[in-house]
Amino acid sequence: MNTKQNLEKAEWLLANWNKETTYPEADRLDVLVTAEDLRSAVTTLHDAKWGYLSAITGLDLGVESGQLEALYHFCNGPAITTLKVHLPRVGDASLPTIEDIIPSATFFEREMSETVGFQITGAKSMDRLFISDDWPEGVYPLRADFKIEQAAPVEGRYVDEIPEEGVVRGNTFVVPIGPQHPALKEPGHFEFTVDGEVVTAARMRLGYAHRGIEKAAESRNWIQNLYLFERVCGICSHVHTMAYAAGVEKLAQVEVPMRAQAIRQIVAGLERIHSHLLWLGVAAHEAGFDTLFMYSWRDRETVMNLLEQITGNRVNYSANVLGGVKCDIGLEQAKVIKEGLDFLEVRIRHYLEVVTTDAMFLNRTRGVGTITRVEAERFGLLGPTARASGLVRDVRVEAPYGAYTRFPISAVTATNGDLEARCEVRLNELLVSCFAIRTLIDNLPEGPLTVKMPRKIPAGETISRVEAPRGELFYYIKSGGGENPLRIHVRTPSLCNWVSVLEKAVGRQLADVPMLIAGMDPCFSCNDRVVTVKHSNDQKTWSWKQLREYGIEYYKR
Amino acid sequence: MNVNNDPLWVKVAKQVRTWARLNSIWAIHFNSGSCNGCDIEILATLTPRYDVERFGIKLEGSPRHADVLIVTGPVTRQARERLRRTYEQMPEPKFVISVGSCSISGGVFDGCYGVGGAVDEVVPVDVFIPGCPPRPEAIVDGIIQLLTHLKEGNLPPSQMKKIAEKVPA
Repeated sequence: MNTKQNLEKAEWLLANWNKETTYPEADRLDVLVTAEDLRSAVTTLHDAKWGYLSAITGLDLGVESGQLEALYHFCNGPAITTLKVHLPRVGDASLPTIEDIIPSATFFEREMSETVGFQITGAKSMDRLFISDDWPEGVYPLRADFKIEQAAPVEGRYVDEIPEEGVVRGNTFVVPIGPQHPALKEPGHFEFTVDGEVVTAARMRLGYAHRGIEKAAESRNWIQNLYLFERVCGICSHVHTMAYAAGVEKLAQVEVPMRAQAIRQIVAGLERIHSHLLWLGVAAHEAGFDTLFMYSWRDRETVMNLLEQITGNRVNYSANVLGGVKCDIGLEQAKVIKEGLDFLEVRIRHYLEVVTTDAMFLNRTRGVGTITRVEAERFGLLGPTARASGLVRDVRVEAPYGAYTRFPISAVTATNGDLEARCEVRLNELLVSCFAIRTLIDNLPEGPLTVKMPRKIPAGETISRVEAPRGELFYYIKSGGGENPLRIHVRTPSLCNWVSVLEKAVGRQLADVPMLIAGMDPCFSCNDRVVTVKHSNDQKTWSWKQLREYGIEYYKR
Repeated sequence: MNVNNDPLWVKVAKQVRTWARLNSIWAIHFNSGSCNGCDIEILATLTPRYDVERFGIKLEGSPRHADVLIVTGPVTRQARERLRRTYEQMPEPKFVISVGSCSISGGVFDGCYGVGGAVDEVVPVDVFIPGCPPRPEAIVDGIIQLLTHLKEGNLPPSQMKKIAEKVPA
């Protein structure tokens, strides 16, 4: 079925609740529904297996229009169907929850209700997930008339202690983990309720790294935003600018030269290698395999050198500009890159052998956290986590963009769905990336590096999706025709994959939790605050490190 | 500091303590809302290519065992209280290194609604390492500067600043 037929099918499915249909772009369908019909419409699309829920965007249409807009984006290959719901700005802006139909929607809904101010009815939990605890009630930062003075800290709302309920019940106690960390990445906070050794419930709190980038983007111009979005994440900085630039270029109807697109793809491929090697090290560290951690990070420096050769920077590369790229790849650099790839390929093959044969490592990964294909689809997983369960979720394959239209890539999948399969998928993906980079370098198209971009971007809205190392990255960009965007919404892949940790931890040993969290390659990671375990009436203090060591000890037996 | 009036054994004990401390710095890493860029560079300094362990520096998970607090990122409103608490849990003497442009001034995130300010508004900072993110070499240099400064028997920079502020002009 091609994109057009796919969209027609969606329109046909939604005919009962359809109030207004528009085709904003060739591959997009917008359907206006009422809040009452939303659940039926979502159920229909979901039951007919029309794609997956990719993101929910909340918008404030401005004080004059007096309306809020919620956009439910469903992606099916390149085709995107958006369910639009309009609600009044003042008064009752309540939406029914869809988390019982699609579990990952809970994070999208909570984000939207905290930042734009929708009331979600029927949701299981509406605890704060993103906005800080001292934030006043009823103030929504993404509203058009929001002023920073409204958000003066509220005293006495500091509540990230152990939850009151369900702490001590017979032999059950709560292990909080996070938000601070001995080794890596961003902070998150988890609470695992355990009965003896077995986890019975899991809960989390994000927002320790919530800075408010989406709001800041509205007050900065299109070029400044490129550098702002590069700093959403320091590990996958290039793909963020790639998604942003691709969206803005689409709005401005600018065709990026093929050479620039190929160079973007080369940098993205190298970034994937650096990101996955980084992940391998962290996962090995959590399993107590520090030798592999040190080796994979040593080899990662080779990729960092290559990235520095091309772009001049190690982490935030700034390779992209609107309308093209900043840096060229000459013959000399091509040679260096190929030499680097030769070395890396040997090492990656070695690691592949290690993770599939090392008995100690297999103990921690084989059969742990198994997600079946059906579950992966139900949870709405993305990226390598989904592909390890045999579900092809790869934007590069499903909806090729940029240079992938000319240099197609094959999706790497596995069938087992456990942590071992996720290691295998990630490492095999690196071999594919190496091959793709070589092909791109050998066939680098000739031509200019940039084209001219207008300062003001024509009014309109667009969706831009690229495959980040962790899965599909989703950008919704809306322009009012000025020098600043009206709204940019970013949905990162980790947000969808959290469900896999929270659902899969239940019923597992506490000792497996560190590996489960590392297994999805979270972009907010947790960790090492001193944490309190309440054991009946005794109080015991555990840190993440102790928990990790406990996990290692547990498996030595 | 009136070191010279101390008896000999006190002087020797102090020297031994300083020597031991400077050769086994344990650091705790706190991410107060950073983009990960600085965090992966800090981790890179620990791994074989840059290898700060040769200076006796080791990442330690618990604040109660740490000498140095390495902070990255602008301090978000949610992490602010956590940063202060982590700092308070550390035993004396303690030093703070703030890594990256955001941790110095808020950087690119200055003015965002979730950001509560720079690190030195929350805890006293001894060494600032600018860069977005700073290169591992810069981080190593920052740590070495702190060590050299302390080796000469000086107080930590943040305390010297405090004393300087108290002295009437």
